[in-house]
Amino acid sequence: MINTVCDEMCLPPTDMLYGSPYEFLETGIEGQALFNLPFGDIVNFLTPYTAVLFIFALTFTIIAAISKPERQVDTVFGGDACYTKDIPQDTLRFQRFMAIACGLATMGGIMAGDVFNFTLFTAFIGITNIGIVAAVKNKHILDNAFEYGLLAMIGTLPLFVGAALVLATTGTLSMWGLFNSSAAVPLFAKLLLVIGVIAEGMAPVFVAKAEITRAPGAPFILMVHVSSLLIFLRMIEIVISV
Amino acid sequence: MTIIRKVSRILQNHNNLTAVYALVVIIVAAIGLISVAVGDITFEKNQLYPKTINPDSPLNPYDRGGEPFALADIKAQYPDNSPNLGYITGYLSPLAILLTKISPHLGTTIVAHPGGILDEILYSTRGLDTIVETSILFVAFTTAMFLYRRDEE
Repeated sequence: MINTVCDEMCLPPTDMLYGSPYEFLETGIEGQALFNLPFGDIVNFLTPYTAVLFIFALTFTIIAAISKPERQVDTVFGGDACYTKDIPQDTLRFQRFMAIACGLATMGGIMAGDVFNFTLFTAFIGITNIGIVAAVKNKHILDNAFEYGLLAMIGTLPLFVGAALVLATTGTLSMWGLFNSSAAVPLFAKLLLVIGVIAEGMAPVFVAKAEITRAPGAPFILMVHVSSLLIFLRMIEIVISV
Repeated sequence: MTIIRKVSRILQNHNNLTAVYALVVIIVAAIGLISVAVGDITFEKNQLYPKTINPDSPLNPYDRGGEPFALADIKAQYPDNSPNLGYITGYLSPLAILLTKISPHLGTTIVAHPGGILDEILYSTRGLDTIVETSILFVAFTTAMFLYRRDEE
């Protein structure tokens, strides 16, 4: 009796995945999956909803990869002088690397077909956000990066505890199993996932507070905002669907 | 002072955000404790990756059983993706074999040293996890190196 329940719930029939291309995963808010990409047991997928998010993340990653840093011009009041702030080459390289890594992590989080992988990619985004913000050599910006780092570290606790509770209460982490089954994920696990993602996605608050959106961090700072927005949207989809 | 003004006075200082967040975590943890007490959260015994714990094994609690390089029965979520699953259940380095013979209490030490146990269920069925975890470490070390070496020139 119990085994049949688990077979229906934990193991999606393989012909659903490989038999017909038209009988894909039906998710809660966005319809059928368009595409899947298996990595062992972890099968990533895109649906119309996540495909839009993916294209958005891809566009901004390309923009971050090809754009040159913004050079702030300060005008001296009462005179004709103005001077341009120079961005050191190594800071530029580092921020560009972090922005691209952040974009890749965002795309991974959007495609994730597994709750634990989603939380891993969210933690990845948090780390790259710290890198982007901390690269600017300025005392109050570094203070903000430190505060955000603390928050991101606290946030990993509810994030991973949430994923662990999903596994403990349903027996599976795969969204292929969770989205279609009647197994209820407890409200507590959903709340933990939500507050975990909030901590990791809090970076734009600190960015805005430190006023570095148009300072020597631009345009790589954009990735902080894009990744937080997209990971929030993906988290909402997961919490509604499971 | 209205309540909104009080709340916004606290939230406008970003140095308070960590404390506010910690408070939210405490509230959610309290909800969790209540829901455990009510019986809302129950352990699902039919786990996707089943595991038996053998307290007598020197590799406890990491022993998944089976002879290395012999076929073992491992339950895969998507068997089509892992055709070679179950052929290598674990590999112990010579040092790890020595440690298992010395004491039955070194399981964690054996797993923690490099090359101790290759856990097939991790490397074969959840391969993307290991890639993402090492990527996170790589990026974290890159940030640390950049910040540490920035002032050297």
